[in-house]
Amino acid sequence: METLVEWGIIIALGLGTFATRLSFLALFAKAEPPGWMRRALQYVPPAVLAAIIAPLLFAQRAGALPAPEMERVIAALLAFAVAYRTRSTLLTVVAGMAALWGLQALME
Amino acid sequence: MIANKSFITTALASPQTKAAEKVSSRNAFIAGLRACGALTMAAVPFGMVCGAAAKAAGFDFHQAFALSWLVFAGSSQIVASQMFASGAPAWVIVVTGIVVNLRFMMYSAALAPHMKGLTPVRRWLAAYLLTDQAFAVTLARAAEGRPGTESFYFGVSAGLWLFWQLASLAGIVLGALIPPIWSMDFVVALTFIAVLAPVLKDRSMAVAAACGAVAAVALDLPLKLNLIAAAFIGIAAGMLTSRLWKR
Repeated sequence: METLVEWGIIIALGLGTFATRLSFLALFAKAEPPGWMRRALQYVPPAVLAAIIAPLLFAQRAGALPAPEMERVIAALLAFAVAYRTRSTLLTVVAGMAALWGLQALME
Repeated sequence: MIANKSFITTALASPQTKAAEKVSSRNAFIAGLRACGALTMAAVPFGMVCGAAAKAAGFDFHQAFALSWLVFAGSSQIVASQMFASGAPAWVIVVTGIVVNLRFMMYSAALAPHMKGLTPVRRWLAAYLLTDQAFAVTLARAAEGRPGTESFYFGVSAGLWLFWQLASLAGIVLGALIPPIWSMDFVVALTFIAVLAPVLKDRSMAVAAACGAVAAVALDLPLKLNLIAAAFIGIAAGMLTSRLWKR
């Protein structure tokens, strides 16, 4: 029963994701997305990405607002500057991890 | 328009030009494989973290690998793993993952004019392989007016797919060996920062991101509905901003 739930999640997410990819390539290939949908969809990447990133910089605390983890916040800001200037994912990841490890070593 | 034209010329082509087109489409495929080299360097650590996260969340080997090749979208794989580990209801995990992947609808619409010459089977294959990276480099190349967009796209995507699966497998198998002190989960944040930073030049995009971030941290909703709520708050804030600051 337990594994059935897990497989259900994986298969449903797989099919749902495939549907988003198929949408205008095959399912509605003759249609153009309506204007309101175009306007809304362009905000999906910034809204979703920021919503995934932000909690990764905070420590979850039961019964209180999450507190920022300073090493992670500083490393993330540095990585943001690298990403903004170089537009390279690889350099961003390398710089961010180096900064985090350096700060963690300093704070020990 | 360009794709349409090449479709008509293909249909009317003589045998010689058909052979020539075969060569040029092979060249475009190889160019695509080459272009994915730099992209895989960044995709491999992310893929490994996604594989390791799935395994750590409690999926078994087959499930973790199925997540990698059935979903084939790192951000939603990570979100699904995190939510599964924290005990979110199955339907919330699935809906959140799909919301994270709604951006593929936008890519799908933008790519469709360049894929008009494909057979239905190949179009479904193109859809399955659609990723942020393949979409970005393919559209940039098409904008330069170079031919063989479809073949180039398949070249990039084939390389990315292969390296993604290998990286996932490595993460699933070896993930448990990586000490938590290395904070490899931070690779997720960094990968997304790299994608997010160039987008924020536009004011309404920056507002969408800021509102999404604040909502994701501050909201404490039941059933782990935070991310869905944060996404829609961010989208609404972005749309509202662009309406209020119309140029």
